[in-house]
Order: sequence, then C-alpha cells, then structure tokens
Amino acid sequence: MRAIHKNIIREISRTRSRFISIMAIVALSVGFFSGVKASSPSMIRTGEGYFTDQHLMDFRLISTVGFDEEDVRALAGLDCVEEVMPSYTSNLVITQKNIDTVVSVLALPQKTDYNQTILNEPIVTEGRLPQKNNECVIDKYFYEKLSQYQIGDTITFNTKVQEKDTLDTVSHLTYTIVGVVQTPMYITYQRGNTNLGSGSISFFIFILPEEFRSERYTCVYAKTRAGSEYPSFWDEAYKNGVKEEAKEIEALSRERIRIFNENTLQEAEDALAKAKKEYADGEREAKESIADGEKKLSDGEKEYYDKVLAGEQKLIDGQKELEEGKQKLEDGKKSYQEGIEQAKKQLAEAQQQYSSGLAEYERGKQEYDAEIEKAEKQLSQAENEYQLQYTIFYSATKPQAESKMSLMKTAIDLAQTVVDGLEEKLAHLDRWLPAGGNARETAAQWQKELEEYQKKIEDYQQQYDEGQRQLQEGEAQLLEAGQQLADARQQLTEKKAEGAAALGEAKIKLDEAESKLTIGRLEYDAAVSSGLLELQEAEKKLQSGEKELEEGKKQLETESAKGLAVIKEGRELLLLGKYQAALKLSEGKDQIREAEKKIDQLKDAKWYIYDRTDNPGYANLEEDAQRVDNVATVFPIFFLLVSVLVCLTTMSRMVEERRTEIGTLKALGYSHPAIARKYFVYAAAAAVLGSLIGAVIGIATLPFIILDTYSMMYTLPKTVLVIPWDCLAFSAGTGILCTCLVAVFACYRELKINPATLMRPKAPKPGKRILLEYLTPIWKRMNFTSKVTARNLFRYKARFCMTVVGVAGCTALIVGGMGLKDSISGIADLQYQELTIYDEIYALTRSETAEKKQYLMAQFHEDHRFRESLLAYQSWTTVQFAHNGEKLALHLVIGENREQFEKMFILRDRSTHMPVELTDEGVVITERLAELSQAGVGDDVRFTIGDDYYTCRVSGITENYAGNFIYMTPALYENVTGKELEYNLVFVQVADSAKQDEHTIAYEWMQKEDIMTVSMINDTLVSIQDMLSSLNVIVLVLIICAGMLAIVVLYNLTNINISERVREIATIKVLGFYNLETANYIYRENMVLTLCGACLGLPIGTVFNAFIMRSIQMDMVMFPQFVGPLSYCLGFGLTILFSLLVNAVMYVKMNRISMVESLKSIE
Amino acid sequence: MKDFVCFENVYKRYQMGEVTINAVDGVSFSIDEGEFAVVVGLSGAGKTTVLNILGGIDQCDEGKILVGGKDISHLGSRDLASYRRYDIGFVFQFYNLIPNLTARENVELATQICRNSMDPDEALDSVGLSERKNNFPSQLSGGEQQRVSIARALAKRPKLLLCDEPTGALDYNTGKTILKLLQTKCSQDGMTVVLITHNSAITPMANRVIRMRSGKVVSNAVNPNPLPIEKIEW
Repeated sequence: MRAIHKNIIREISRTRSRFISIMAIVALSVGFFSGVKASSPSMIRTGEGYFTDQHLMDFRLISTVGFDEEDVRALAGLDCVEEVMPSYTSNLVITQKNIDTVVSVLALPQKTDYNQTILNEPIVTEGRLPQKNNECVIDKYFYEKLSQYQIGDTITFNTKVQEKDTLDTVSHLTYTIVGVVQTPMYITYQRGNTNLGSGSISFFIFILPEEFRSERYTCVYAKTRAGSEYPSFWDEAYKNGVKEEAKEIEALSRERIRIFNENTLQEAEDALAKAKKEYADGEREAKESIADGEKKLSDGEKEYYDKVLAGEQKLIDGQKELEEGKQKLEDGKKSYQEGIEQAKKQLAEAQQQYSSGLAEYERGKQEYDAEIEKAEKQLSQAENEYQLQYTIFYSATKPQAESKMSLMKTAIDLAQTVVDGLEEKLAHLDRWLPAGGNARETAAQWQKELEEYQKKIEDYQQQYDEGQRQLQEGEAQLLEAGQQLADARQQLTEKKAEGAAALGEAKIKLDEAESKLTIGRLEYDAAVSSGLLELQEAEKKLQSGEKELEEGKKQLETESAKGLAVIKEGRELLLLGKYQAALKLSEGKDQIREAEKKIDQLKDAKWYIYDRTDNPGYANLEEDAQRVDNVATVFPIFFLLVSVLVCLTTMSRMVEERRTEIGTLKALGYSHPAIARKYFVYAAAAAVLGSLIGAVIGIATLPFIILDTYSMMYTLPKTVLVIPWDCLAFSAGTGILCTCLVAVFACYRELKINPATLMRPKAPKPGKRILLEYLTPIWKRMNFTSKVTARNLFRYKARFCMTVVGVAGCTALIVGGMGLKDSISGIADLQYQELTIYDEIYALTRSETAEKKQYLMAQFHEDHRFRESLLAYQSWTTVQFAHNGEKLALHLVIGENREQFEKMFILRDRSTHMPVELTDEGVVITERLAELSQAGVGDDVRFTIGDDYYTCRVSGITENYAGNFIYMTPALYENVTGKELEYNLVFVQVADSAKQDEHTIAYEWMQKEDIMTVSMINDTLVSIQDMLSSLNVIVLVLIICAGMLAIVVLYNLTNINISERVREIATIKVLGFYNLETANYIYRENMVLTLCGACLGLPIGTVFNAFIMRSIQMDMVMFPQFVGPLSYCLGFGLTILFSLLVNAVMYVKMNRISMVESLKSIE
Repeated sequence: MKDFVCFENVYKRYQMGEVTINAVDGVSFSIDEGEFAVVVGLSGAGKTTVLNILGGIDQCDEGKILVGGKDISHLGSRDLASYRRYDIGFVFQFYNLIPNLTARENVELATQICRNSMDPDEALDSVGLSERKNNFPSQLSGGEQQRVSIARALAKRPKLLLCDEPTGALDYNTGKTILKLLQTKCSQDGMTVVLITHNSAITPMANRVIRMRSGKVVSNAVNPNPLPIEKIEW
C-alpha cells in the first residue's frame, strides 16, 4: 500500500468523531428521505400486491333487478372481461342492547362456471372458512378493534329488516363464527353506507352462497383486461383502461335491460292488468254487499223504532190509568178520613155523654154513698152510743146500781141489824151496857146511833129506791133508744134500698150507654180498620200498578237497548265489512301500486357499474400515500443543506489542521489531485458509508413505522417494502457529491497557497471588531467570555450558518410535528365544541306529519336533560364546481328554528370570529367548500336537492373543519325548490348535568317509534381521537429525526470548536479557569447559536407546519393551521435539551484536554 | 523568605509502552522569595516538566512541592486551578494570547478572575504597551505579544512568575528586551521569577541557576552578583 493511502486510512481512524459527524449527517438525510419516500410506494405496492393476490375485481355490478344466468353469461362474453363471479350481498340488522348494527352479509367468493380464480378472495387470519350452512366468517377489522365476538360465538339477525323477513333473504337467522377474514374489498375501516339503522355498515360477514334465497344474483364481480394489463392500480393507464371498459359494460347493460324488459316486464304488466281487473271486480262486489247490508240495517232500524214507539204509547196509557187510580185512592182516602172524623166526633160526643152520665152517676153514687155512709155513721154512732150506754148500763151502771142497791140493801140490812142490835141493846140496855158505861148515856148514845142508823136506813132505802127507779128508768130509756135505733136502721135500710135501687137503675142506664159506646167504638174501629184495609188494598193495587208500569218501562228499555245493540252490531258489522273491504281493496291497491312500482323499477332497471375506486378506502390509500410522499419531499432539501454545511465546516477544519502536511506533500512534489484525493476519499467514504447506513436504517424502519400508523385505518397484509431506488440514488448521490465537492473545494483553497507558507503554522484567523463593539456601553459590561463568544460567532460564518440552520431545522421539525398533532387534534375540539355544538342527532322516522313532528319537538323541549333541541333537515347533496365541473358530496343543513340553530351552528369568520349571518337571500357555505369550489360571497353554487340541481347565491363563508356543509333557511329552501321542507332529524344539546347519562337518554328516546336512530357526537369524537393517536408515531419519528439532526450539528460544531481552540482552552486553564468556566467559554457559543437556531426554528416550524398541513389536505377536512404554545415550548425546550446533551458529552472531552500537551508548541 | 519554592525528591514518570521514562527523576531544589531563578538544561532535560509541575499544570508522581509553605503536590484539580489562578503567573513561549481578544482584553482575561488584580491598563503600561492596548494579537509583533503575555501574568499579582522559554520565539534583541522587563519586575517589585531556558548564556542575569540534565538537578548555584541583561551577550 502506498504511503499516501495508508495516510488516508490512518486519518479516518484517528479522527473518528469528525468522520462520524459527516457520516451521521449524510445518513440522517439519506435515511430520512429514502425512508419516508419508501413509505408511499410501499403502501401502494402492499395494496397492489394484496389486490393482485386476492384477485380483487375490477368491476362490481349491481342491478336494480338483479342478474340472471343470461346476464352473467353475456357479461362473461365481453372481450374485455376475463372472469365473472356472480354473487349475493345483503344488509341485515342485529339488535343488541337496543342498538342496531347493520351487517353486510356477503356470499363467500367461490369458483363458478364463469371464473377460474376466486375473485376478492378473503384471507383467513384466524379459524377457517365456512363449510356448513349456518357458519360464517367475520370481518377482521371489526373483530380486532371492537371485538365483541369470539370464534365459536353466534350472530343472530333480527327476524325482520324493514318489513322484510330476514329468512326471505338468507336461510338462517343465526350463524356461528368459524373464522376471521380480511377482504381486499374493504381496506379501511369504512364498510359503506346503508339506509338501515344508523346509516353505516358496521362489519361484514361471509356465508356460503347457497344460503341466499334470492332467485337472481344480487351482484356480479368482474375482472377485466385492464386489471391484468396494468398491475399498478393507481396508474392513469389503469384508470383509463377501466374507464373504457366501463363503457363497454354499460353498453351491454342497456342491451341486457332491453331484453329483461321484453321478458320480465311484459309478464309483470300482464299480471298487473289482471290484478287491476280483479281489484275492480272485488271493488264492485264489495260495494254491492255493502249497499245490501246498509239497506237491511236501515229496515231493521225502522222496525225497531216502531216497536219502541208502540211500547212507549202503552206505557203512557198505563201511566195515565195509574194516575187516575192514584186520584181515586186519594179521594177514597179523603172520604175515609172524613168518615172517620165524623165517627170520631160522634163517638167522642157519646163518650162525653156517657162520661157525664157516668160522672153524674158517680156523683150521685158518691152522694148516696156519702149520705148512706153518713147515715150509717150516725146510725152506727148512735148504735155505738146506744151499745155503749147499753153496755155501760148493763155492765157498769146497772151492776153498779145493783151493787149499790145491794150495798144499800146490805147497808140497810146492816143498819137494820145495827138498829135491831141497838133496839135490843136499848131494849136490853142493862145487859149490853158496857161495864162502867153510863147506861143512860150509852142508851142515849145507842139511841142516837139507832136513830142515825134508822135515818141511814131510810137514806139507804131511799137511795136504793132511787137506784131502783133509776135502773128502771135507764132500762126503759135503753129500750126506747134501742127502739129508736131499730127504727132508724129500718129507715136507713129502707132508704138504702131505695138509693141502691135508684143507683142500680142509673147504673143500668149507664151500663147501657157504655155498652152502646163500646159498640159504637167497636163499630168505629171496625169501620176504621176496614176503611184502612180498603185503602191499603187500593194503594197496594196502585203500587203494583206502578210496579207494573215500571217493569213495563224497564222492559221497554231493555228491549229497545237490545234492539239498539242489535242495530249497533249490525252497523259495526257493516262498518267492519266496509273496513275489511276497504282494507282488502287498499291491499289490493297497494299490491297493484307495488306491482306498478315494481314495474316502474323494472322499467327503470339499471345496472350500476362500480369500479375499484368505489370501494371504500381504495382512493384514500392513494391519497394517504401521496400525503406521506408530500411530507417526504420537504426533507431532502433541508437535510442536504445541513449536511453540506456540516461537511464544509468539518472538511475546512480538517484541511486547515493538515495544512503543514499539505505543504509538506506539496513540497515533496505530490500533485494537487493526489493531495486532494485524501480529503476527497475521506469525505466520500464518510458520505457513502453514511448513505448506506442511512438508507438501510431509514428504509428498514420508517416505512414500517408509517405503515403501521396507517394500519390503524387500513386492513392490509404484511407490508411489502419497495425500495425507492431513484430517491435513494438521488439523495445518496446528492449527499456524496456535495460532501466530496465541499472537501475538494476546501482542499483546493489551501493548495493554492505555496508550500512554504503552508509549512508555517497558519496564523490564527485574526480577531476582528464586530458591530457590537461600537455599542460601547454594552460591550464594556460584557466579560471576556461574552466578548470572545460574540467575536467568534461572527468569525466563522459557515459554522454559524450550519449550526443555526441545523438547530433551527431541529426546532422546526419538532414544532412542525407537534403542530401537525395540534392542528389535527384541534379539529375535533374546534368543530364539535365551538362550531357545531350538538351532542346527539335523532333521525326521525320518515313520513311523519308536520304536526307529529311539532308534538315530538314539544317533548324534546320538555325533557329537561336537553339544553337545546333543533328540528332540522339534513341530507347529502352534491355540489358541482363551476370552474372545473368536479363534484363534491356534502351535507345540506336547514334548521327549523333560527334561534336554536344559531345556538348549535356557530357561523363565523375564521380569522375575525365575526358572526356570519344566514339570511333568506342566500346560503352559507363552509370554508373548505368555498376553497374547493372557488366560490366567494356573492358567487353562485350549484348543488343537488333530491335529484335536481339548484343554484343559490353564497351569502357567507363560515369557519368549519370536519366535513363540508351548506346552510340554508327553510324559507330559501321552499323558495328555491318550491317544495315543502320535510324535516328529518333533531339535533340536541345534552345538559351538562345529564352528560353522563347520554346513552340512557338516547336509549329512552329510541323507544319512541318516531325516532329511527340516534347518533352521538361523543362516539364520533372517540373514533376520531383513536385515529389521531396514530399521529403520535409520526410526531415521534419527527422528534427523533430532529434530535438526531440537532445532536449531529451541535456535536460537530462543538467538536470543531474544541479542536480548533485547544490552545485557547489550555491557556485559560493555565490562567486558572475552573472546568466549568472553561466549558462555559466554549458552550456559550453553542448556547447562543442554539438559541438563535431555536428562535429561528419557531417561525420556520410554523411555515413547515403549514406546508405539511397543505400537503396532507383532504376534501372533507380543513386542517386549521394551528400550532399550540405547548408545541412551541416543546420545540424550543427539546432543542435546548439536545444542545445540553451534546454539551454534557463534550464536557468530558474538554476536561481531558491536557494543558501540558497543548502548550508545548504550535505544530 | 528562604525556600519560597521547595522541591523535595520529585518524580514524574511517563509510560511509553513497556518502558517507563522518568522525565523528572528525584528533583530537589529550593528557591528563595524575590529571587530570579533560571532553570537551564538541554531539550528533554525535564526542565519544562518541572516548571509545569511547579505551575500546577502538571502533577508529579512522587515527592513534595512547597510553594510559600503550601504543599501543592497533592492538590485536586480544582485546588490546582485555584492555585494557578491566585498564585501563579505564567509566561508562555508562544505567548498563548487569545487571538480574538485585544491586548487589553487578554489582560482582562486574567484580571477578571482574580481578587487582587492590577488594573489592566496599568499592567499594560508597565510593560510599555500603552499605545497598543486595543490591538488584536495578530496586529502585534512577537515581542509585543510576549509583553502582553507578561502583562497578563503580572496583572494577577502572582506570588510566582513562571516563564517557559519566553524568548524562544523571539529575535535576539526582542528577547533581550523581554528578559530585561522580567529582570526589572523581579528586582523592582520583588517578584519571584522562575525562568526556563536552554540558553545557558543568560544564566549570569539570575540570582540562582539550577542546571538540569536527564531529569535530574545537576547543580543549584546562587549567583550573588547577577549581571544586568545589557551586559550579557550570546
């Protein structure tokens, strides 16, 4: 090996960090560019490979009347058509937890008589294909993302789909999932739209074709020559080829439809005519029988009314009789009352007489009794006196007298005795004279006593006699009194008898009167009771009469009710009959109408020819790929610029360092190219190696990362890597070329100088005054490090540029990447929180009347869980642009109530936020639509309402991001179309308090039959957010690239600075600078450049962001070019962080600088 | 002060593959304060290494170095930096001025980090460069640059001024002027100066002459009657 070559190898190994610097920046630029550039073709190729391998059809034909074998055969017979696969599809509904899920049920692609290959062959990713009738395979995307089914689970369809029995479409209601598949028909998450359920198809399943019960094929897939001739499906060639073929197929379709009309249509029309006739007959018959029935009914009614009338007359008579009877009874009662009154009077009189008689009698009797009693009393008194006298006389007086008399007699006898004894004594005085007594005196005394005695006897005798005489007299008196008494008794008795007789007579008379009275009374009583009885009987009779009458009435009533019921029944029967007849007739009419409609349809029979671009997502893939490509385009220029700058500074430095060597070689007689070769080879080696490493790493990672991001939206097989050789060659070539050129340029700059000068150390670039120094006050305050920094910054301009551009690029990349995220994630927030502020959309059942809608709206307004609700009309419309005739599908929205409309749809200018007024004069269109259609305020837009095109003046342009809208007033609508506006949905805002119950509310409202479906913005937001999260990867890639860029550039700068200023560093170290102060001496420059770069990077990043946003723009979405403050902060902060990282790494290197080595001498 | 600088058995070894070279091989000497010491020897005699160790730029492997009574042989890197900062003034053979700073700013570079520094203008005046203060090094001649370098070293008011072949890159007359300046600073300001040279002809101007050969001190002689530089010719 020649010494000069050895020199090259040694140089590389000795200056590794420098070599790596160049290599890294080239690798970064080549890797990033080719990596991103590879993504787009890889995406396309992956898709193409997928479509080719799975034999994706080129055409999908759908007919309004289906296809028969003849159609298929005719299609297969076309020159351009290579293979045809007739098949079936149908949309069915599953209702689970009250949510309708629309499923696209497809027939499993199979070989038929017309195709050798299976078109649209699904790839089984799990399980197996269906083999039995009730088996199915399920959509992979749905299975993975929203997995509510497992293999082995069953899917059960609703028995009816919009009045149509599911079992008329397919043979089973329930299918068992046996596998998971993906199909080239659907490469995105979109599964197409439908008029069922929520309006979009959730997923597809494949079942065996035999399961479909349709007689005719519902669709036909065709593969054509264009497909096999041009494998690149997004080529213009393919598109043109397909266009041509579509014309051929269309021609065939017209022919096939003509034949169809001849055969099928005629039949149908005949059948219709027959049906019409039958209907007419049926109508007449029905009319007749109804008339008959009506007559019968009216007869019956008449009879009934007659009968009722008669009954009523009878009742009235009876009533009258009863009335008379009542009168009579009343009279009878009166006379009876009077009679009783009289009799009572008489009786009372008699009673009175009797009573007075009785009283008289009583008085008389009393008097009599009193007299008698008195008399008897007197008598008995007298008798008692007499009895007393008598008793006294006989018990007292008489014995007394008698005892007196006896006493007297005794006393007389005694006195006689005494007188006799005295007379004897006197007589015999001598004998009786007491001894010593004086006989004369004694005899005188005795005499005197005798005399006294004698007188006493005489007295006694007298008394006795008198007693005797008194006794006798008493006795005589008694007797007389007795006699008198007896007389009196006799008299009394006589009188008594007399009175008694008189009394008895009176009594008899009284008794007689009494008995008469009693009899009278009895008679009266009898009369009263008999009268009463009679009356009662009369009353009873009357009552029974009344009762009878009542009964009669009742009877009449029941009878008439019965009659009425019969009549009613009859009438109802008649009505029912009429109704049934009408029903039958209307059914017949419906059938006829349906048949007519069918015939209309048949008449309008049409084949719809769809090519691949009509497959959901097919066009998107290309657009997305294009978008990625656009983003990739901006990088090479940028990175190339940085790599040239890095290379320039590095190589210049290197050549400067090798100055003596160059001088020596030159002096030794080496030619310029020989000397320059070293630097050329050095640079070339670094660039080639860098390109290689960059290409390998870039292409091996970036396409996968980016495609992985997109795989969230696309169901594609494993990525097929396409190496973009042209881009790779371009970027590597440019990188290598620039690097080498720069090296040679730097080298030749030195080679111009003569060897002698070269051998001497190069005088360091002289210090120069800078502008800042003339601002003395500032300059004076700066310390030497700042001064050095300031001077250095302007001393090496290439370095300055490199660093600033590199760092600015880093910041710009981060800002751009974060801004991308901000812009896109801002869409959802801006759109749904600031511009179209509604939470739920309730689609109304079609054919509701306006009144019913108003009623429904009242219910909406009453529900306090809704803050606002707006009845509105929304439909798809197609706008045709005036300038290029292109069409765009978007929504037309008309709010019924202006006030509520303004609360939900904020129409405003994007930049000024000034409200845009919606008037009856014109429509307000969204910004993106205005941009695409190039229509400004005052211009006209042409768009469809229903099937017809209308033109309206644009009166305003409003800020809008997701989707495109035309807003209109109801008045304008009616004015423009002349039709009545039929509102079809309700936008609602849910009150904050009810936000968490949103699903419950929706569920409740779904129960109403007026509500067809509910869609919730939240759900939409979630899915948007899911998709946006894929952006994180892109942003991460950008940040990593940015970081690498910053690190490479700053590392390079620091490296050069340090190596260039080793002596300076050593010197200040010797002067006693601490490590940090020393590092600061170098780093200050870094930091200033980093700050400059970062500051510059912020506006560049904004522009870069705008560029990215423009290159990824879509028709349906306007991306707000918005970079959040956080993104700016992050861009700035991360850049600083990268710079600090580099500084930290270089700090070690700086500390390792030996003072001793660098002070020795200048080499 | 006696023994202001004192080397005691100092070793500095370099490992060159298998072989260990003793660049400084058991050096011991001492210098008094205010002396103008010249270390003289041929290339590779180890004199620069000694100066580097003394200046705190390099560290010895063995031995003891006392400067003003402070042992600096085992200082950490930060302490060494402080030692350099406050105690040492260094005059380099190639001046080592920062090209991007003017003469005055180069002096400021030193004064701004010191506590008790001179005024940069004063320092520059003292080396006779009042007129060229605002010139960049590239606009100055070698002698002028060296004078800026000396001014930068002196401006810190160091305890010790170390000069590594200050005249090595200068022509004869300019060299003489520089040596004169150093001698003046030493004799007038009492600054201890240690000067390294391979030119033994200038030894008569020194108070003390230390001769080195192969990393060893051969002699350490005090010259009681140093000659003024004008009288020396070589």
